[in-house]
Amino acid sequence: MSFRLAAIATVALLFATASAQADWISPPYFAKDEQDGKLPPVAERIPEHPAVAEMPRQGQQGGELQTLLASARDMRQISYYSYARLVCYDRDYKLVPDILESFEDDKDKVFTLHLRKGMKWSDGQPFTTEDFRYYWEDVANNKDLSPSGPPKDLIVNGKPPKVEFLDETTVRYSWDEPNADFLPKLAGAAPLYIYRPSHYLRKFHAKYVNADKLAEAVKESGQPSWAALHNRRDNMGRNDNPKLPTLDPWVLRTKPPAQRFVFTRNPYYYRVDQSGHQLPYIDQLIVNVAASQLIPTKTGAGETDLQARYLRFDNYTFLKVGEKHGTYWVRLWDDGRGSNLALFPNLNTSDEVWRRLMRDVRFRRALSLGIDRHEINQAIYFGLGNEGANTVIPASPLFKPEYRNAWANFDPVLANRLLDQIGLNQRDESGIRLLPDGRPAVIIIDIAGDSTEETDVLELIKDTWHSIGIDLYPKPSQIEVMRNRIFSGDAQMSLSYGIDNGFPSADMSPQDFTPTTQQQYQWPKWGQYLETGGEDGQKVDLPEAVQLQDLMGQWRRAGDSDARARIWGQILAIWADQVYTIGTVAGIPQPVVVSRHLQNVPERGMWAFDPGAAFGVYKPDTFWLDQPGPLSPVADNK
Amino acid sequence: MLRYLVQRLFVMIPTLLVISFLVFAIIQAPPGDFLESMIAEQQSRGENVNTEKIEFLRHTYGLDQPFYLQYLHWMFGTWDGLQHQNGGLIFGDLGYSFEHNMPVTDVIGDALSLTVIISLASVLFVWIISFPIAVYSATHQYGLGDYIFTFLGYIGLATPSFLLALVLLYFANVQFGTSIGGLLDPQYIDQPWSLGKLASLMEHMWIPVLVIGLPGTAGMIRRLRANLLDELNKQYVVTGRAKGLPPFRLLVKYPLRISLNPFIADIGSLLPELISGSVVVSVVMSLPITGPILLQALRSQDMYLAGSFLMFMAGLTVLGIFVSDLALAMLDPRIRFGAGGSR
Repeated sequence: MSFRLAAIATVALLFATASAQADWISPPYFAKDEQDGKLPPVAERIPEHPAVAEMPRQGQQGGELQTLLASARDMRQISYYSYARLVCYDRDYKLVPDILESFEDDKDKVFTLHLRKGMKWSDGQPFTTEDFRYYWEDVANNKDLSPSGPPKDLIVNGKPPKVEFLDETTVRYSWDEPNADFLPKLAGAAPLYIYRPSHYLRKFHAKYVNADKLAEAVKESGQPSWAALHNRRDNMGRNDNPKLPTLDPWVLRTKPPAQRFVFTRNPYYYRVDQSGHQLPYIDQLIVNVAASQLIPTKTGAGETDLQARYLRFDNYTFLKVGEKHGTYWVRLWDDGRGSNLALFPNLNTSDEVWRRLMRDVRFRRALSLGIDRHEINQAIYFGLGNEGANTVIPASPLFKPEYRNAWANFDPVLANRLLDQIGLNQRDESGIRLLPDGRPAVIIIDIAGDSTEETDVLELIKDTWHSIGIDLYPKPSQIEVMRNRIFSGDAQMSLSYGIDNGFPSADMSPQDFTPTTQQQYQWPKWGQYLETGGEDGQKVDLPEAVQLQDLMGQWRRAGDSDARARIWGQILAIWADQVYTIGTVAGIPQPVVVSRHLQNVPERGMWAFDPGAAFGVYKPDTFWLDQPGPLSPVADNK
Repeated sequence: MLRYLVQRLFVMIPTLLVISFLVFAIIQAPPGDFLESMIAEQQSRGENVNTEKIEFLRHTYGLDQPFYLQYLHWMFGTWDGLQHQNGGLIFGDLGYSFEHNMPVTDVIGDALSLTVIISLASVLFVWIISFPIAVYSATHQYGLGDYIFTFLGYIGLATPSFLLALVLLYFANVQFGTSIGGLLDPQYIDQPWSLGKLASLMEHMWIPVLVIGLPGTAGMIRRLRANLLDELNKQYVVTGRAKGLPPFRLLVKYPLRISLNPFIADIGSLLPELISGSVVVSVVMSLPITGPILLQALRSQDMYLAGSFLMFMAGLTVLGIFVSDLALAMLDPRIRFGAGGSR
């Protein structure tokens, strides 16, 4: 007992939350199982030093939360909402230990991770460094399971880390060069999982099971090989295998495929509130599957307790009407994208004349100056958006107004002068400029034809571009087709979502702003070149872009946050001046529908994927119901 | 007759092989493969993609192989010399669904029972409604009732079913508080059958049954009415009437029987429809039946799932036509004797 008190004292000290609680409080949900001896008492279920959650208002345990998703594959969203990570972002987007009790970071080269002693998986088995060892030695470095070796996020300058398992609760990853991206990757919405439930996955691993027995299991599962079977069972974060133990607050209980997925609380969860209640507050999570286009309607009819996914700003008025029925509140959260929609001139397009133009910074600037963002904002977004370039938004500590304003005001006179300077002086009878080879300057813009928002925006841009002598036509196609056209260089320009993380801090990777992957629609072939180590694609050959690439390298090697902030500043300045992508309007609010009984959901928040993990950064294990209803029965799939 | 049967059965084999090749070719025709569409989907939502895992999957499931190899593998499975190892559609293995990450059989199995319930209910609905109306319309041709039913029938044919579905969904939600979409109130999903669950199913089912059945009802009324009218004007009916047969008995015993042919001929198209459901309506209404699964499989290029599905339907169509031919031959002596006479 004195030992437990000591533990509490340490926790209280660690988190400076004076807790006079004598004991941990188990949720009533498990009362029967504890009585029957199916579950050990709560003090034995949680780690010696559980994580103590801070929150606006402490709540009560119990009840059931319903939400809607569009398919069984969407269940990975629940792992984002759960947001149990080794380290995680807090509400100020600072990295803090979460599953880890603490970590030490020596110049971004040596990371020592300390696990919580006595922590357990959702099936009650201990969570120790053995789980890290299993991942590193038997998964990441197993030829059959990882043919291309450990994930590239763990490789620095072509070299894997040295991984040591110091004792039951201490792991050390060390590199010769800094790997500044390591912790952010661990804290990602879809994180780098560097541990596995080894006790469960061993059963499917050739190293641990005798060959005949494994062959039989492989045959029975219909998989082509043991590696495929292991891979199938090991889908951490995907929530498609109810038997896979987890550390998340809620554990999947339904075997897919299904129309309704039930998650029940994890009896071994590692977090408690300030007065010692084991979290999560909510006992069960019910996810009903509905077609994505029906989700706004169902939400309006009050069929969900917490919903943002598949709701769009244009559903807002409809949802407001439903709010009058009194079952939910509609809140508007900020959107974290750098620009809701942005134009991506393809610097690697195959057409030589167009390629030369797209690579001319004056041309890109002229196109940007030829867009009346205010008109778009007023006509399509009710004036609620934030007009400007596709770059960081004011929520970012790196933000400067000049980044957003660079070449982003509507100035047809200057735009015309720039275009004249390039030498596009000839015009045809309708006033459209002629390219050097005599074709009219008509830009075909590839879009993924799902909603009318894209075509509406392009319609407005088309009008103002006419005044600078440029015409455009949208080309809608399936998103796969569009992407292939961009990658191959068939597309001259595309319209798509802007920078995903518009509010980075200096410690987050500037990868979206420098050539890094093929998925960047403005320079797909440069990205591909860097991704494949020079095997495919084209070498980066514009001086400013080369500079960006160098800066990215410098950022990775930089030793501290100040140096990183300086590098970020240089990157953002080049990005703003070079107009590699043409932003329109950012900050289109995201409607979030919250049941009137659900507490602790912020009035106003940031809706973003990474960092943020959707609701994850607000820690839904602290959300609670003021009138918990009856629980749905759970079919036992065990 | 037996020879005819065997012949018909044998023709089915090459037909199905040709269909299987076409199906596979068409599914594979759009650029890219399932993994690419998965990458695209994840990226459109701002998620990063684990390229190592994608490569692993592509290799493990043979998506990097040429088209004909993939086809042969799907159709005939893998062989070690002359020793069949595993897989192959002809051995009853439907393959693996990438999207759902499980064997195709498991994916379809669950949705199948509800699909059959819905489809059977719509077929019964069509028959029960259209049969008496058609008989009434034919016997009272150009009467007021005939005009009213004809008018309603045309509306039924002309209204786009997805629109009707949306209107009825909204109406049912506002008036009766029925949950939108699906076939059950959420609390009954995946629960064992009970009276409450049955009631919930009934509460939801009338909309899809009505929407799916309406165009069929209208069509059936028109066809049956036309057939019956043809027969009613024939001489044997006049003779029968002149000989003093009671009108109802006369109607049921002779012309009605012959005009039943469209009901029977429908069986051919009925069997595959039972499985496929009505895709558009079921997508709009988010019904947990096979239609939306098929559509999604086609969109995401989940080729074994889509392919097996289409093959299954092709098989049922061929079988259905065979069965309806047999039934027609048995029911209608003209067809029977006609077939025999030409042989």
